[in-house]
Amino acid sequence: MMARLTTWLDERTGFQQVWQAIFLRKIPKVNWFYTLGSATLFVAMNQMITGILLTLYYVPTPDHAYDSVQYITFQLPAGWYIRGLHHWGASAMVVLVVLHMLRVILYGAYKFPREVTWATGVILLLVTIGFGFTGYLLPWDQKAYWATTVGTRIAGAVPFVGDWILRILRGGNDLSAVTLARFFGVHVWVLPSVLLLLMGIHLFLVIRNGISAVPTRKD
Amino acid sequence: MDEKEKQAYLEKYHHEKEKGVPFFPDIIFKDTVVILVIFVALAALAYFAGAPLEERANPADTNYTPRPEWYFLFLFQLLKYFPGYLEVIGVVVLPTIGISLLFFLPLLDRSSKRHFINRPIVTGATLIGMIAIIGLTVLSIREAPPPAEAAGGDAVAALYIRNCASCHGASIQVATGTNLHNVIAEGKHEGMPSWSADLTSDQIDALAGFILSPGGSSLFAANCSACHSIEELVASSPVKLKEALGSGLTYEPHKGLQLPDWSKTLTPEQQTQLLNFLAAPDGQRLFATNCSACHGRYVAYSGEKEQLTKTISQGGVHLDMPAWKQKFSEAELQQLARYVVDPATAPEGKKLFQDQCAACHGERVPTAATVDEAYDQIANGGAHQTMPVWGQVLTPEQLDALVNYIIQANQGEDTEAGQKLFESNCAGCHGQFGEGGPNPARPNSVITPISSEEFLKTRDDITLAAIIALGQPDLGMGAFGNAAGGPLSDEDINSIVAYMRSWETNPPVVTAPEIEIQTLVMQGGEIYQQICAQCHGVSGEGNVGPALSDKDFQAKNNDQAIYDTISKGHNNTSMIAWGDILTPAQINQLVAFIRQMPPTEKPATPKPAEGQDAGNPPAAEATPTVTPTPKAASAPVFADIEPILKKRCAPCHGAMGGWDASTSEKVINSGDHGPAVIPGDAENSLLEKKLLGTQTDGTIMPPGGKLSEKELNLILEWIKAGAK
Repeated sequence: MMARLTTWLDERTGFQQVWQAIFLRKIPKVNWFYTLGSATLFVAMNQMITGILLTLYYVPTPDHAYDSVQYITFQLPAGWYIRGLHHWGASAMVVLVVLHMLRVILYGAYKFPREVTWATGVILLLVTIGFGFTGYLLPWDQKAYWATTVGTRIAGAVPFVGDWILRILRGGNDLSAVTLARFFGVHVWVLPSVLLLLMGIHLFLVIRNGISAVPTRKD
Repeated sequence: MDEKEKQAYLEKYHHEKEKGVPFFPDIIFKDTVVILVIFVALAALAYFAGAPLEERANPADTNYTPRPEWYFLFLFQLLKYFPGYLEVIGVVVLPTIGISLLFFLPLLDRSSKRHFINRPIVTGATLIGMIAIIGLTVLSIREAPPPAEAAGGDAVAALYIRNCASCHGASIQVATGTNLHNVIAEGKHEGMPSWSADLTSDQIDALAGFILSPGGSSLFAANCSACHSIEELVASSPVKLKEALGSGLTYEPHKGLQLPDWSKTLTPEQQTQLLNFLAAPDGQRLFATNCSACHGRYVAYSGEKEQLTKTISQGGVHLDMPAWKQKFSEAELQQLARYVVDPATAPEGKKLFQDQCAACHGERVPTAATVDEAYDQIANGGAHQTMPVWGQVLTPEQLDALVNYIIQANQGEDTEAGQKLFESNCAGCHGQFGEGGPNPARPNSVITPISSEEFLKTRDDITLAAIIALGQPDLGMGAFGNAAGGPLSDEDINSIVAYMRSWETNPPVVTAPEIEIQTLVMQGGEIYQQICAQCHGVSGEGNVGPALSDKDFQAKNNDQAIYDTISKGHNNTSMIAWGDILTPAQINQLVAFIRQMPPTEKPATPKPAEGQDAGNPPAAEATPTVTPTPKAASAPVFADIEPILKKRCAPCHGAMGGWDASTSEKVINSGDHGPAVIPGDAENSLLEKKLLGTQTDGTIMPPGGKLSEKELNLILEWIKAGAK
């Protein structure tokens, strides 16, 4: 029965081929450092799930942002825990992305034929930093407000276009409701879209080119 | 890598792959183990550490020390090494180089070598990069501003920690001759804001003193701060300071006090440290404390800078005064001498002084310690007043700042241009002569005069310029400077300031508009009735604000505490910082006025109208046939609570908007966070929470403290009874 169901499904989806390509592919003998990429993927998924849960209650306006975060933290059942996971997941994400990248540099894994995989990885690093920067403002507490004030002001120090960048980041001259809406939109819509797209390409390339082998002293 | 190497690599890789393991389950197993470890770590961190949440964002609180998230700390630290115009290196150049190197790494390193030892450049660069990032992060954490308690009672150190340490670390090295006051007041580069809107001139000078001489600051905290506030001493004359330190117990104001002999307990180095701390190089202030007593507001000087420096530092015979005994009678001389020593004791000398002395001495009465001394000087004349040898008193920095100020002040500003700009930009709200008027940005509030002597004397040019450029958002004044998107250039602002300064020597309008009479000329009692009584009651019985005539209040607060409260206000209440609006003298009058209020035992809480008092209907009206009082007692209606609301809530809520207490309908539904009342459900009504102080948002209402038990119960009963 099971076999017939599998065949029926495979005839219509070809899932066995995909299963084979992804899960049954051969991998050179590698060490524990090679788990860092998967770990990053896991934390990214943790961020998505907890992030989606948080948006159910979070309100991105200066009037209510702080209240809604307070509500999530102090009244919503397990809200504090979801927020804790998202908060610490953010730090873990940065740590793991950097460690993963160091592993790739150390083993020369960015070389032929994986140059494009590397390039998408560098952009993913920037996306991660972007997540950290935009997410920091959302609780709209003192730390959030002032760190973003200073952070955007630093961007304003770029010659010629600094003022323009500052106004784009803040949506005006000062930190305001527009800034919060903007940071929220980028954090919740723009960056996740970019992240998913690049992660898809990154993973596709990893599977297509195979995980690099641990180089020997002669390599 | 050429084609051959590529093929060789692919073949070798294919071979290793064949020898390898399947992704599932071998690799998946390893991944799962690591993921589990990470998940447990995350779960534990979330459980035990949680996610922090600070106070609600407060854009007005510029004292907050911003810290970025930890993974940005290294960038933050990096920026500290590129101040001023170099900042672009830290902001743009280095990050761009770093990211480009990363992104193009496969193109830069195209050799076929893969082992890290065979790629020394990449491995080395990565190592250096990581060490730099970790090192900068560690440095940033170590240079983090110590908590304010670390200042150990040194108020100025605490001020420094709050405002400067987050960027500058524990101390700042300053090149000699820097006018620190200007740097702090005006800001220097992007990232160093202008502080003049947030700090008073005194605070800025105290900070400048601290930066130049931190040791002096701790000496001050240890030895002087028990009696002196820093604001008082930075504004005093360096000559006096030096005398106080040098002459020990013979120094007049210190006589008879239980004090150590400063000339002995402090080493000469310590004395110098203390002096450097107390007299920070701020030209305008130095001029005001040291020179203006004799020179008035300006010294006309058009010569060389060197000559001026020499004159000031060497001092010299200053004025030749005629020997007045040839012209005045003995009685006149005596009269004048007494007037000069203390104008109050001999007002009859004023006319004489104005006729004969004012031509040279101006408005100022030259001081002399005793009548005899004054008599001697007036009678004999001569080089009675010698300009001090300032070179012995002032540090080189101070001298420099003083000379620069005098020269600048002499260059003069075109007050006509300033006047035009003032009329088109400022007069709308401040009046043509800076006399103030109703505040269009805040109903029921007035703009106090900015042309008063008091206002101008207490703000230096930089402060005035900063106020114009950045506005005063808390008081409803927008920013006028170009930098903040306003219409005025720095030059425009300077000429407006110059125009405002011209009021100081030449005060505008004697025919004061009525608003000026209302605000500036008012005395203690009048101010109280006009302003304070709105919340504290006409005789201090309190309504929205606490009862000031209350015995407890009077006992608990000394004069200083009351003064401070009036001057600084309470956050988030309608008790604003009146120190910005009233002069110290006026506040002192208020303190005195509050002190003489006849004490009352309990805060005289306003009672609801007689007969509607829920518990005890007065017998006189309890005629069952006419009024069904028992009904009123069991289920209060709006009319019962209206007097309470009117007296205790409407003073603010009527005028400030938001919640409206005028009808039962509005009590229930109006307000930003409405509904304020859920009829029948007092416990969940915002109104109840606000009155009991159990609210999660804002403060208890009324801000002066809970209503009386009786009032409270009546309102709660009313809600429970359906809020009809």
